[in-house]
Amino acid sequence: MAATEAARDLVQRIKQPHSLSPRIRWLREHFFRGVDRAWNNEFSCWTTDTRWDVLYDEISYYIVPETYAFLQPFRASSRLAARPVALPRGFWRWSLPQRRAWFIKRVMVEELPQEILPGDLLAGGRFNLLASRCWDRREARQRDRSVARAREETLWFQRHGYGNAGATSGHLLPGHERALRLGWKGIHADLQARLDALPRRERRGSKGAQLRAMLTAASMPRELAARYAALCRDQAEAAEPERQAELLIMARNLDRVPWEPAGSFWEALQALWLNHMLIMSDECYPGAGVSFGRIDQILLPYWRRSLAEGMDRELGKELLRCFWLHANTVYDAMIKIGGNQGITAGFGQLLTLSGLGPAGRDLTNELTFAILEVIDELAPILEPKPNVRLHRGSPQALLDKLVEMVASSQGAPFLLNFDERSMAGLLRQAREAGVQHLIHEGNVHDYAPVGCLENTMVGNDRSGTVDVNLNLLKAVELALAGGRDLLPAVDPISGAEDPLQIDGVDTGDAAHFHSFDEFWAAYAQQTRSMLQRAVDLYERSEAIRAEFSPTPYLSCLVRGCAEQGLDITQGGAELSFVTVNAVSFATTVDSLLAIEHLVFDTRACSMAELVRALRDNWEGHQLLQARARFKAPKYGRDDQQADAMARRVMELWTSECWRHRTRSTGRQFRPGMLSWNYWVGDGYVLAASADGRPKGRFLSNAICPSNGADTAGPTANSNSVGAALGGHAPDGQGDWQDYLNLLPNGASHTITFHPSLLRDAEHRATFAAFLRGYARNGGTALQVNVLDAELLREAQRRPQDFRHLLVRITGYNAYFTAIGRELQDEIIARETHKCP
Amino acid sequence: MSLTTGQPQARVFSVQRMSTEDGPGIRTTVFLKGCPLACDWCHNPESIRSQPEVVRHAWKCIGCGECARSCERSALRATEAGIERDLARCDACGACVAACPTTAMQRYGEPRSLDSLLREVERDRAFYDSSGGGVTVSGGEPSLQPAFVEAFLSGCRRRGLRTALDSCGQCGAEVLARLLACTDLVLYDLKLADSDSHRRHTGSDNRRVLDNLLTFWGRGGGSPRAPGLWIRTPLVPGVTATDANILAIGRFIAQRLDDRVQRWELCAFNPLCQDKYERLEREWSYRGQGSMDPDLAEHLADTARASGVDPELVHLSGSRAEG
Repeated sequence: MAATEAARDLVQRIKQPHSLSPRIRWLREHFFRGVDRAWNNEFSCWTTDTRWDVLYDEISYYIVPETYAFLQPFRASSRLAARPVALPRGFWRWSLPQRRAWFIKRVMVEELPQEILPGDLLAGGRFNLLASRCWDRREARQRDRSVARAREETLWFQRHGYGNAGATSGHLLPGHERALRLGWKGIHADLQARLDALPRRERRGSKGAQLRAMLTAASMPRELAARYAALCRDQAEAAEPERQAELLIMARNLDRVPWEPAGSFWEALQALWLNHMLIMSDECYPGAGVSFGRIDQILLPYWRRSLAEGMDRELGKELLRCFWLHANTVYDAMIKIGGNQGITAGFGQLLTLSGLGPAGRDLTNELTFAILEVIDELAPILEPKPNVRLHRGSPQALLDKLVEMVASSQGAPFLLNFDERSMAGLLRQAREAGVQHLIHEGNVHDYAPVGCLENTMVGNDRSGTVDVNLNLLKAVELALAGGRDLLPAVDPISGAEDPLQIDGVDTGDAAHFHSFDEFWAAYAQQTRSMLQRAVDLYERSEAIRAEFSPTPYLSCLVRGCAEQGLDITQGGAELSFVTVNAVSFATTVDSLLAIEHLVFDTRACSMAELVRALRDNWEGHQLLQARARFKAPKYGRDDQQADAMARRVMELWTSECWRHRTRSTGRQFRPGMLSWNYWVGDGYVLAASADGRPKGRFLSNAICPSNGADTAGPTANSNSVGAALGGHAPDGQGDWQDYLNLLPNGASHTITFHPSLLRDAEHRATFAAFLRGYARNGGTALQVNVLDAELLREAQRRPQDFRHLLVRITGYNAYFTAIGRELQDEIIARETHKCP
Repeated sequence: MSLTTGQPQARVFSVQRMSTEDGPGIRTTVFLKGCPLACDWCHNPESIRSQPEVVRHAWKCIGCGECARSCERSALRATEAGIERDLARCDACGACVAACPTTAMQRYGEPRSLDSLLREVERDRAFYDSSGGGVTVSGGEPSLQPAFVEAFLSGCRRRGLRTALDSCGQCGAEVLARLLACTDLVLYDLKLADSDSHRRHTGSDNRRVLDNLLTFWGRGGGSPRAPGLWIRTPLVPGVTATDANILAIGRFIAQRLDDRVQRWELCAFNPLCQDKYERLEREWSYRGQGSMDPDLAEHLADTARASGVDPELVHLSGSRAEG
């Protein structure tokens, strides 16, 4: 086949949008025109015009090490770019939450232009703000002192390879169902009643101030909607009749929602979009983890009502498509900075479909399928991120549709979340934290994931699902080196080295350990001390946020805040957790297995020799490195002895997690395993590890086995993941039914499949059955990859990282890297031939 | 023959988890070493000999020489050019396999105990249950280790796992009867209808292969207790992949076998086992030959569908369509 033809074929294999109306095609193309658009949703900056004003709150970015060098430049440049907002008399005498609520509302309603795109059926165009934090001079000075200390400790923590921690925005499921059902009118009335009911002293105190700020925030959606209604009527005057009719319906919708309860599906979607986008304005944080929850449940009553009243199903889908395009405008925030017009995968407005309901009933409905059609028609598109909840009894029609979508795209266009295991984790959390009245067998099915895959409850829960990210591997390093770093930490800017000293606990010289048990004891001690350090670091930013960064609008949408008169940043949510996500899990487990194997079981080397090899980054220790990589047992192969180590590591660090709460806000710490992209970046920070990994190579990703370790196939891989999470209770008394799950936040798991495993109806049915089996044996969430020839070529270049790649030859499967080079070429050629 | 004293053991050359090609659903396939036939196209040449064999995966080798140091028979030498092997000296003792730090040395035919194998296949029960899958014993030829296979398949069944037996049919009827009694599905190779051709390409004529089929699944004369049957025919260009052969096999299935035949799989030839022959240092008469022309494979599938069997039974695999 000619090269050009092959290249074209490759491109053709990439999933393309289909069945789009001219309207949606135009809106989609317009979005991808990026900076060439007439206007966009780039951050706009607004200041109280004091000398000490701050717009950019760096604390939200402490969990993004790539931004550390830019924290102060962003702060300074956003201030320089800011437009002043005229303040009302008495502004500086108001409480901080009141100042902030007024300021955000003023900018959103009066200062920032409202925009509607040609043909768009939903209003709500610009919302990315960097708005003044509204601190007075004393507050600004006080906060700056605390931030300097927090920043310094954050940098130290990252530089030494522990990970990162910071009180971060977003990452929750607001009470959208309630806001649609009551309208802001209902929320406003509830707030007013609570304020009126406060004893006089409290009304004048912080509770009263908080409720008054929330009342201001609760009036913002109505006033903004009125502006948009006026704009619709303006545009309608000059519009063609068809468009005019649309704009007038939009105007009438906006006259009602989101203030009044939503009636029609169109109104509900319009209200949902405005309610959602204003959260991002309120937090000055575009999108990350501001998730929707179970929208095929939230929107179903409106969908059914409108269909019954004669709405064309196609119009319903067209409204959804408009909603999809709106969600992508979050990426405009940094449209001129960074590559690709600011479009990254770093935002996660996650929505959830299907899943269990009360009494074990499946809640898949006709809207589930309509939304799946919309996803399929628009894919590939990044936002909102779809998640489908599966369980052992998921309907076959749903599985068939999902597998068909997986097979026709380069990989799954969505996350798959698994109910039984996930609910087990949340019920365990309820027990550990003593909140069984809020999470129990009768309501745990209401959960949904946020951001990437982090499980939380809905409308009353902030669980800081990405706020602490801890490299478990660091504890192995500290145990090997008696509480010191193996290599001196280096300041990435100055190149200066920190002195090697005992930062962890002094667990003694590992060379003197006589058994693996002694090493384990040292590792456990280092894990405890490292967790304490992470908790202490988090406390710094948490306390600062609680005092200085209220989000009164968001607080209106989260149960517990109005009830307690507490902002959500002060722990106001009924369920207030902070999640510690363990990074480098498999690398840690494999390193412990390698230490046991090399030093104690086979005596292939002494502990001192191993430590020297790690300090030398394995250079000059090739044989020992090979033994560590290939001969030591590994997690991820359904090897029960190796997986027992995984379980032991998991139990140790998760049980430590439950021992901590934040001091300033009383939030309980809980465990999860997300890893985001830390497993890549921190691979360059952490020293070589005993599993054979040199410094500069990736760590393991979330709960996945180490690269190349997964040699026994997808079922074995899944079994290992399920076992590491706790598996099943032998006596049947698990956290949920017989399921155990040590990670309430969930765990990211990715498996890569070859397209041939999905090649015909029979194989697709088998794949659907695999997903059902995964619901029984696997983890909380699965991301499916389907490989193409590009990846196969990458596998040729780096066979060591692709040893788990199963390819179908004929009549049998084989591991791609285990067959000869020429034959690999043949398979790649066959791959290309296979193009439609 | 299997080793039946004490804990039963088998010579296994591979255990394939999540197999989707050896029977319905998700399966674990256990490949046993040793085969009475020697098909010249054989895709699993490591399966043919009953005794263990050691091979070397050169791409994994880091040239450390540990294998050569471990070899008491000097079958391995570390030279400037790399590791050199003298197969005549190798008794497949496995010392080099243990010594190699990178798993570049591999032994086919590791003895596996019945218990350990049963424990392993049981691990994927959830996936068998969700997919209608189970355990397949393949080879080589499983009937060469009948006592073990019988114990293993019975053990699977006692654990509630569905079983399949993949056989070339070159075995005694009594042995086969014992194995069928603990099998839910048989995958049965029917390669060549012509007996002379069968002898030329596999080393034996096809008399026992056909006799066994008729004994257990013969129309009007078979054994009523025999399980369901999938016939599998490899499509080897110039050998089995002829209209005449496919038509003859089709007629045999349609006219001589009863309706317990659930499927007839045609597996198109490809050269992907060539590197296995190289590792085993054996010649292969199909060296350099490309994958089968997909149009020819489709044509033969059409021939099969027109041969008198229920066209729904015919399945083609290994052609272009599956990558």
